[in-house]
Amino acid sequence: MAVKRDILVVGAGLAGMRAALEARARGAHVAVLSKVHPVRSHSGAAQGGINAAIRPEDDWRNHMFDVVKGSDYLCDQDAAEVLCSEAAENIYELDRMGCIWTRDDKGNIAQRPFGGQGYARTCYIADMTGHFIQHTLYEQMLKHDVEVFEEWFATALVTSQGRCTGVIALSILEGRLEYFQAKATILATGGYARAYRTTSNAIANTGDGVTMALRAGAPLEDMEFMQFHPTGLYGVGILVTEGARGEGAYLLNGQEERFMKRYAPEKMELAPRDITARAIQTEIEEGRGPDGKPFVWLDLRHLGEKKILERLPQITNLARSFVGVDPVKAPIPIQPTAHYSMGGILTDLEGQTPMPGLLAAGECACVSVHGANRLGGNSLLETVVFGRRAGRAAAAYAAKASQEDGGVDALRREETRIQELLKREDGERVSRLRTELGDTMTAKVGIFRNGPDLAAAVQKVRELKKRYSGVNVGHGGRVFNLALVEALELGSLLDVAECVALGALDRTESRGAHSRRDYPKRDDERWLRHTLYTRRGDEVAMDSSPVRITKYPPQERKY
Amino acid sequence: MPATPVTVFRKNPADPKGRYQEFTVDIQPTQTVLDALHTILYEQDPTLAFRRSCRSAICGSCAMRINGRSRLACNTQALDLFRRDGHLLVEPLKNLAVVKDLAVDMRGFWRSIRAVRPSLVERQGEVPQTHYAIPGKRFNPLKIVSDCIMCGACLSDCTVREVHPGFLGPAALAKAFRFVGDPRDGATRSRLAVYSEPNGIWDCDTCLMCNEVCPMLVKPLDAILLMREAAIENGFVKGMGPKHALAFYETVERTGKLHETSTAIHSLGARFFSPGNLALTARTVLRGKRPRLLAPKPKGLAEVRKLVASVHRERYRTVP
Repeated sequence: MAVKRDILVVGAGLAGMRAALEARARGAHVAVLSKVHPVRSHSGAAQGGINAAIRPEDDWRNHMFDVVKGSDYLCDQDAAEVLCSEAAENIYELDRMGCIWTRDDKGNIAQRPFGGQGYARTCYIADMTGHFIQHTLYEQMLKHDVEVFEEWFATALVTSQGRCTGVIALSILEGRLEYFQAKATILATGGYARAYRTTSNAIANTGDGVTMALRAGAPLEDMEFMQFHPTGLYGVGILVTEGARGEGAYLLNGQEERFMKRYAPEKMELAPRDITARAIQTEIEEGRGPDGKPFVWLDLRHLGEKKILERLPQITNLARSFVGVDPVKAPIPIQPTAHYSMGGILTDLEGQTPMPGLLAAGECACVSVHGANRLGGNSLLETVVFGRRAGRAAAAYAAKASQEDGGVDALRREETRIQELLKREDGERVSRLRTELGDTMTAKVGIFRNGPDLAAAVQKVRELKKRYSGVNVGHGGRVFNLALVEALELGSLLDVAECVALGALDRTESRGAHSRRDYPKRDDERWLRHTLYTRRGDEVAMDSSPVRITKYPPQERKY
Repeated sequence: MPATPVTVFRKNPADPKGRYQEFTVDIQPTQTVLDALHTILYEQDPTLAFRRSCRSAICGSCAMRINGRSRLACNTQALDLFRRDGHLLVEPLKNLAVVKDLAVDMRGFWRSIRAVRPSLVERQGEVPQTHYAIPGKRFNPLKIVSDCIMCGACLSDCTVREVHPGFLGPAALAKAFRFVGDPRDGATRSRLAVYSEPNGIWDCDTCLMCNEVCPMLVKPLDAILLMREAAIENGFVKGMGPKHALAFYETVERTGKLHETSTAIHSLGARFFSPGNLALTARTVLRGKRPRLLAPKPKGLAEVRKLVASVHRERYRTVP
């Protein structure tokens, strides 16, 4: 028996929940399906804040210019315009829903400076902004009685005559597969930085939605642009918010030099993430880490205990628990960490993909508002602005569309695939392949890239894909089979990693987060274009499309 | 320290009673209990089940009992605990049914959360066009609950939930206070009325375990006590809980000390004279616990009353 709804949202982070609430408000019969309970989603780990021009002296056009310049001119400017012009109303709406913004004595929503922006326009709640917005949206989900299938892992999209008609999903608790039939399906499954060894991402961030879209024939866009957050906790990669630098923290090398003066003399620690991450990586590679070790310091001490505990309580606890450092008394050892996937499923401004009935929003989508480099504080913004739009578009689509079947074959196919995984008695372990993948991506498709390394990475990922076809789960049970979930997730990661490496090899220029040592310059003539990826049989076919430029023509990018 | 023994609770549908299994795990300094579980999963036993996601103490997935106490596996340093206690014992959360191994059925937890109507209720006609212009400090009381990540550690170690499954429990009541204490919420009175009903704020026995185990330093007990005060202030004084609190307060203010007999009579009302309670009282007296019926007024009573008044003023500043 298929579960039948007008709209199915896959993923219950901010984009998914916002989309579901919007579709529900417009009268659609909507269900949300998520690998983890909604409040466990990784949006909740966002720390520093969310951007919006809400002061009289600020203007969304200034925000938009910062976004465009930050993107190294690769974002689509009509999308950036939507992002920035709709920012304020979304912040206010969250306040009316119950979000507890940090405020001043007059009741204004407080803002802090963030990297790459000309104005302090990042709204926040201490250093737990994602947590607060996530719980606010979950409260709204309960209030409006939005149905959630918790701990259901979507494994494949169902298509019928080129149209998406729902998903096949695995109940993690029970181990059974089910066909979820829907007139419209919204993917909101987040990013895929788990393909890297050192990452700020949750274990669940394995790009399942992006992979499902690719496998079903929907195009992906700009996959080569992986953001490395400048400040991950040394060794574990856990995020230390840009808000720390927004509040005034310094980056210091082993000689206690504020080295950012050599990379971004004006913006210093508040340069955009791509530039800051490259600066840190350069310091490390040139041996200027403390005792030549692969990290630099993030120093908060001069902010004083009161400010640290009030504005940055979470990272204080994280530093204490994970690296044994009290930021009040000592600098935090940090290194860049794979953080955010700028690329994703190609969508229009309403979240619609070229495949009828399939939409996407949030980190798994590429609208594209971040281009080659996302500014801090814009990912949370994207989730609510474009989550809402996707919910609206899906409701409109579902109001006119019919329910189409097509799930029987897909269900049988997925059941066979999972049976094979469960029954196989020999083969390599999932964890071994995943470790090799992470090492490859971090070493060869990292902050600095070059042709030979990228070619080797493509080859290695393809080799891993071959070996994956004989992988051993090691556990044939159906109830809460964590090893099976990890095997399916590795399948997702391998497909997205291949695209990331292919795109990076293809793009013979340096732009934003994509930095080629063999092509150190931006090449607008040839590469002011989006990269597109479409699956053709077992191969990924590459194409490109022009960037939509409406207001700000490309200039040299300096900070 | 390589080769550390780790004992893990195992249970699956074929083994419904459950058992303990010992693993020997190579645990490195700075590795967490979650790292140790992953080592077991990847290198020794792919059948092990547990929840986890962010591994940075914000998603709330990996709450479990580690050496007898509910914690997050992801931010618990394994060797620190092993050195302190001489062993590592990992078990599922209590007060919830086990699905498999360390993964529990969280539905009971979420049911309690839903029961407190956990969303902002708008005040009619007072919803702003943009945002609420309310000074930041008026939200400060919420800080004792707003970091809650709903991991379930407090519910697991709640001594009341253990014997009284209907009790809403600390996390749900902390969530309740998140709205009682919110200056934007328009349902404070009706919330306090509902939370004062059986299974609510008066069923807590103030054992402090919730405050003690919360990995986010949330203070559910403090929230419960603040809501009790607010409930009484709002006139919700039916039931033994508020009557007991009021009688306690009244006797201290009147006599300068706790007068147990009158507190009992006021708390229980007519039930004080029920055969069961009279029998209990008689047994108590026979065992030597004999509260004085008439106590002399102590010296410094005026000072006590001043203190009571000042505490009263201070406390209510934080209650809306």
